[in-house]
Amino acid sequence: MVASLNYLFKRVFYSVFIVIGIIVVTYLLIILSPGDPAARWAGNPRGPGAGKAIEFARVELNLDKPLYLQVVLFIYNVLTGNLGVSISTKTPVLTAIWTHMSSTLELLIFAYMIGIPIGVFLGVFSSLRRGSFKGDVLESIGFVVANTPSFWTGMALFLVFSEVLGVSSYGRIDTRLATIMGFKPITGFYLIDTLIQGNIILFFDVLKRLIPPAIVVSLYPIGTGIRVVRVLMSEALSEDYVKQAIALGVSRRTVIWDYAFKGIIPGLTQVMGLSFVYSLVDAMIVEYVFGREGLGSLLVGAVVSNDFKLAVATLIIISTFYIIANTITDIVQAWIDPRVKL
Amino acid sequence: MVLAVESKGLSIGYLDEEDRVLWVVKNVDMQVREGEIYCLVGESGCGKTTLGSSIAGVLPPYSVTRGELVIYGRRVIKDVLRSYEGVRGKLTSYIPQNPGSSLSPYMRIWDQFWRVLREQGLNEKTAKERATAILKTLSLGQGVLEHYPHELSGGMQQRVAIGLSLATGAKVLVADEPTSSVDANLKLQLMRLFKDVRDNYGVTIVLITHDILLAGKACDRIAVMYAGEIVEEGDSTSVLTRPLHPYTKLLVDVVPMLGFKKTLASIPGEPPKPGLLREGCYFYERCPFRDEVCLNHVETQVIDGRRVKCWKPLVDKTTS
Amino acid sequence: MTIRLPTWIGSAVFTVKRVWKRRVRFRVGLIIVSAITLLAILSPFIVPYPSEGWGLIPLNNTNVSGQPPSLNHLFGTDDKGRDLFSRVLLGSSTALLQIVLVVGVSLVIGLTLGVLAAYYKGLVEYSLNYLIEVFLALPAILIAIPLKMAFGPGLHVIIASMVLTWWAWYGRVASVYARSVCEMDYVVIPKLSGLPGYKIVVRHVLRNVSPPVIVQAVTDFGSVLLEASAINFLGFGLPPDYPDWGVIAQNGLYYITKMPWISLIPGFFIMVTALGFSMIGDALRDELDPKLRRRWRLWF
Repeated sequence: MVASLNYLFKRVFYSVFIVIGIIVVTYLLIILSPGDPAARWAGNPRGPGAGKAIEFARVELNLDKPLYLQVVLFIYNVLTGNLGVSISTKTPVLTAIWTHMSSTLELLIFAYMIGIPIGVFLGVFSSLRRGSFKGDVLESIGFVVANTPSFWTGMALFLVFSEVLGVSSYGRIDTRLATIMGFKPITGFYLIDTLIQGNIILFFDVLKRLIPPAIVVSLYPIGTGIRVVRVLMSEALSEDYVKQAIALGVSRRTVIWDYAFKGIIPGLTQVMGLSFVYSLVDAMIVEYVFGREGLGSLLVGAVVSNDFKLAVATLIIISTFYIIANTITDIVQAWIDPRVKL
Repeated sequence: MVLAVESKGLSIGYLDEEDRVLWVVKNVDMQVREGEIYCLVGESGCGKTTLGSSIAGVLPPYSVTRGELVIYGRRVIKDVLRSYEGVRGKLTSYIPQNPGSSLSPYMRIWDQFWRVLREQGLNEKTAKERATAILKTLSLGQGVLEHYPHELSGGMQQRVAIGLSLATGAKVLVADEPTSSVDANLKLQLMRLFKDVRDNYGVTIVLITHDILLAGKACDRIAVMYAGEIVEEGDSTSVLTRPLHPYTKLLVDVVPMLGFKKTLASIPGEPPKPGLLREGCYFYERCPFRDEVCLNHVETQVIDGRRVKCWKPLVDKTTS
Repeated sequence: MTIRLPTWIGSAVFTVKRVWKRRVRFRVGLIIVSAITLLAILSPFIVPYPSEGWGLIPLNNTNVSGQPPSLNHLFGTDDKGRDLFSRVLLGSSTALLQIVLVVGVSLVIGLTLGVLAAYYKGLVEYSLNYLIEVFLALPAILIAIPLKMAFGPGLHVIIASMVLTWWAWYGRVASVYARSVCEMDYVVIPKLSGLPGYKIVVRHVLRNVSPPVIVQAVTDFGSVLLEASAINFLGFGLPPDYPDWGVIAQNGLYYITKMPWISLIPGFFIMVTALGFSMIGDALRDELDPKLRRRWRLWF
C-alpha cells in the first residue's frame, strides 16, 4: 500500500509541475509576441477609454514588475482563478468558459456513451475475424473514418438530416419554444434540465438536435476503439495464458472476454481517456458546424473581437484537462492491474 | 489394451513467411496405452514439443498436418483436417513448460479453476470442493485459491497448473518439459507427483523431456525422437539398459550415471536442420554403424515388443 | 564512373519494392499521393481562373455566384462567384506545403533533441521529457488562436502552432528509440574509447533512430493535414480568402444547404489526401514490424 501511495503522490506532483510549465509557456506567448502585450490583453481597444483599458491591462499583467515576478504572479493568478473579464462576453473569463463548456461536455459525454461500447464491441468482433473478409472490411471502414475530417462528416450529416429527413439539427434547442414554455437551464445539461422540469416536448427537441452532432463526434472513439482493440486483442490472444485456457477446454466466449479482453482493459482505458480530451477539440469543431453554443462558437467569437484573455485562458484550461486526464488514466490503469500492489 | 493416443503416419510442419513448409514431425507412428506414463525424449528441435502440442490441441494456426492422430477413438487429425471440438479440456489437457505465464494474471486462482470446472456443469459449491480436493493432493492449501498467480512461488504455480489440467477431468495429460525450470533435487519429487496423479486419477500422461535419465525413472514407456521421427519406442527400462537404436545407445552413453563406471562419450556432429526431408535415415551422418542402405530407406522393425527404426538394431549388445 | 550511394538508400528502395508487391494498401495510397502531388505541382500551370483561385472576386460576380458544377466551372462557383475548381486546385499545393513544412521542421527539432537527450542523459534528458509533456498537452488549435491574434492570420501562424505541438511528438518517439540504441555496443564502445560525442551521435545513433521515426512521420502526414484543415476551417490560421481546403470549406458553411459543393468538395479532397498518406504509412509500418508480418488466423 505504501509503495503505491508514493507513486500516486509523485505522479500528481509531477502533473502539477507540468501544469505550471504550461502556464509559463502561455505567459511567454503573451509577452513575447509583437506589439504591446497590454494592448493585446485589453483586446486592442479603440476609441475613448482605450487608454484606460490598456493601462488596466498593464496592471493586470504586472508588466511594470521584473520578469520573474511577472511569471510568478501570473501563475498565482491562474491558479486562484483570477483571469479577468472577457472582452467578448463581458463576463469573467472563467464563467464564460464554464457555461459554454457544459454544452460541449454534454455533446461529448453523449457521444462517448454511444461511441465506446460500439467501438469496443466492433473492435473485438474485428480482431476475431482478422484475415477474414468481415474483419478486414471493418478495419478498413474504421481506417477511412479515422481519416475523414469531422467538419466534413458534420456538414454531410447536417445536410442529410435537414434535406433528406426534414429534421433540423441546428443549435441545442428550439429557442422560441423554450422561451414560450419557460425553460430555464439549471445544470447546463439541457438533456437533464428538460427532464427535471418535466418538459417532454423540449426533451425530444434537445435530443433530436443532439443526436446528429453526437454521431459525428462518436466517430472518433469508434474508429479509435476498433483499431486499438483490434491490435490489443490480437496481442492478448497470443498470450500464453490464453493458449493455456484454450487447451484446458474453457469455452470460446469465456476465453475471449475473461482471459483476453480483461488483459487489454488497462491499455484500453488509457487510450480512451486520452481520446476523450482529443475529442473535446473535435467537439468544438462539430459544434461550430451545427451552430450549437459551446466552446467552439465561444472561441470563434473571441477571435472576432480580439479577446486575447479568453483565448489564453481556454488554452491553459484545456491543456490542464489533458494533463488531468493523463494522470487519472495512469492511476486507474495501475489500480485495475492486480499485479501492481495497491 | 486400450490405446489412449495413436498416430499413423502423422507429419506436422510449420509455414514460414514465404509459405514454405518446414516439417518438424515426420511420418510418426505412435501408440500410447491407457493409464501409462509415456515419455517423448529427444534433443531440442527433434519435434517432441510439436507432437505433444498436437495431442493437446494447441498447434498454432500456421501449422500443417498430414496423416492421422486418434485420441480415445476420436480422430482429431486427418491429413489437413483438424477437429478438437470436445477434445480439448475433455479428453486432453496440457501442462505447459512455463507455468507462470500460463495463468491469467488478472484473475484469482479460484476464478481460473471455476472457469475450467464450469464446463463440466458443476455448481459453484461442488466446484470449489473439487478444486480444494485437487489442490490437497498436490500439497496446496485452500488459501491458494484466493491468491493471484504473481503472489505464488514458482513451484506453487507449477502445481496450480497441474491442478488446473486435472480439474478438466481429461484422460490424457500432456506435460511439456515439466522439470526444466525445477531444481535438481526437486525433479524426482515432481516425477513422483506425476506417478501419484496417475495412480489417483487414472489418467494417461505423455511426458515431454530432454532428460533421458529422468524419463527412465519416471516413465513406463519411452519414445526416443530424432529429427522428427520416433527412432525407438518401448518399455523404458529395457530401452535404457538395452538400447536397440544407435542413437538411443549414444544418448544413454553420454549421460553420467552415479554408480556406473563408464567412459563418457559425446555425439559428434549436429542434428539436421528442421524442415529437411529425406528418404533415408536422418541419423546417417552421425551413426557409427552406418551403411549405404541406410541412406536410401529405413524400416521400422518390431523386436521384443519394441519398435525400432533402423536396419541394424543393436541386438545382442549390452551397454558397457 | 560509378557513384557510391549511401547504404540506406538501397535498403529504403528494397523496402519500398517489397511493400509495393505485398500490400494493396500501399499501392492505392501511393497512387493517391502521387496524383495529388502531381496536381499540386501542375496547379499554377493548369489553373483556369488563377486570380479567382487566389481569392480575387471576379467583376461580374452577381451572375456567376453560387453556381453548381458545370462545364465552365468544373466544381461550380462559391458564394462570391469565384471558380471553385481553381481554388481547390491551388489548395492542393497549399495542403502539401503545410504538411511538408510542419512535419519537416517538427521532425528536425524533435529528432535532434530526442537523440541528444537520450545520449547525454541526466539533466538534459529530464528537462527534455518535461518540455515534451508540457508541449504535448497544448492542442495546436488552441495555440493558433492567440498566435493569430498576435501575429495576424497567415501561413506562419498555422505552421508555428502545429510545429509547437508536433516537435514534442517526434521528440518523444525519437528519445524512446534512441534510448535503446544508446545501450548498444556500437554506441557504448566508441563513447568509452573517447570518440567525440557529436560524431557518435551522427554516425551511429541518428542513423539507427531515423528510420522508424521517419516511418512514423510519413504515417503522420495524414493527421497533420486533418489537424491543419480543422484549424483553418475555424479561421484560426489562414485568412479567409486563401486557397486552402479548410478555408474554402468554411466559406461554404453558411451556404451548406443551398450550395453544398463549396464545402463538400474541398472536404472530400482533404479526406482522400489524408487517406492516401495514412495508407502508405500504415502499410510501411505493418511491413517493418516483424510481429505483424506473419499471416494470422484465429485457431479456435
